[in-house]
Amino acid sequence: MTHGRHCDAHNRLLKVMPPEDFARLRPHLEPVDLLTGQILLAPNARTEHIHFIETGIASITAEGANGRVEVGIIGREGAVGITPVLLGSDRIPHNHFIQMPGSALQIRTDALTAAVEESPTLRKLLLRYVLTEMIQVRQTAFINATHEIEARLARWLLMCHDRVDGDEILLKHDFLSMMLGVRRSGVTLAMQQLEGAGRIRARRGRITVVNRELLEEMADGGYGTPEAEYARLIEGA
Amino acid sequence: MPRYFFHLRYGRGTEKLAVDPEGDELADDEAARRHALQCARDLVAGSPSFAVRDWFACSFEIEDERARRVLMVPFGDIVPEEDDEDRTG
Repeated sequence: MTHGRHCDAHNRLLKVMPPEDFARLRPHLEPVDLLTGQILLAPNARTEHIHFIETGIASITAEGANGRVEVGIIGREGAVGITPVLLGSDRIPHNHFIQMPGSALQIRTDALTAAVEESPTLRKLLLRYVLTEMIQVRQTAFINATHEIEARLARWLLMCHDRVDGDEILLKHDFLSMMLGVRRSGVTLAMQQLEGAGRIRARRGRITVVNRELLEEMADGGYGTPEAEYARLIEGA
Repeated sequence: MPRYFFHLRYGRGTEKLAVDPEGDELADDEAARRHALQCARDLVAGSPSFAVRDWFACSFEIEDERARRVLMVPFGDIVPEEDDEDRTG
């Protein structure tokens, strides 16, 4: 597979796409801003658009009477809406909203579906991406069942760090509490442990990654497998 | 509604206090106590931590917006739960 270099896109899927596949999508891609809290795909809503994330981070949550918990995140390595559409559904029972603002290239679902039907290489790339989403979610299930909150927070911060430029992550403890499925006091406690060891610096709503290697150590093996699989499946690393 | 801050005490000294930077709005002191107990239950039930090996040695130090101590709620107060009281009479 020849790898195109589409320097006007930040999205890693669009970047690695063969030029002829990118050319199929290009006329249909429309730049849009992503605002904090904006819902890109609501639970069981019809998927009208796919959003290739350029900057910022979207959160996938499962929601019920007992609250909501994050089950996945999508940034510039992915696209919101690909999973149901590629797998033959027009909807999925999870919420997808913006947790860190940025921008995306959106494409109508019918335009994407038509392009995928014409191009086996495009279908394969996007299906492999769906697999990486699945691997991330399975890793999250594993981590949530086995790892301490400090390790879970460390992994989550690393995943965010991978998806932002620079070392700053803007988030309140209240939000992190929902992301990690743990009470806010647990987040504050974990934050204090990471900060005390010089891995991060935390000021009201602003987290700075100081030492990534130490954060990976704290994640206790919880970080890295899905990321390596993405590199292998998508970027041929 | 008044805002309450739920600082988590998990050992002696200032370094063993996780200071709540955000707080929660609750109707009154009794609602704050119920909230603390619910948080304690959830932490005991589902959140293993490197820093806290025994959640029952912890407590919430609850302050109001002027940083005045309102309540101290030890995690031990979550036992017995209402369900247990029902069963044991």
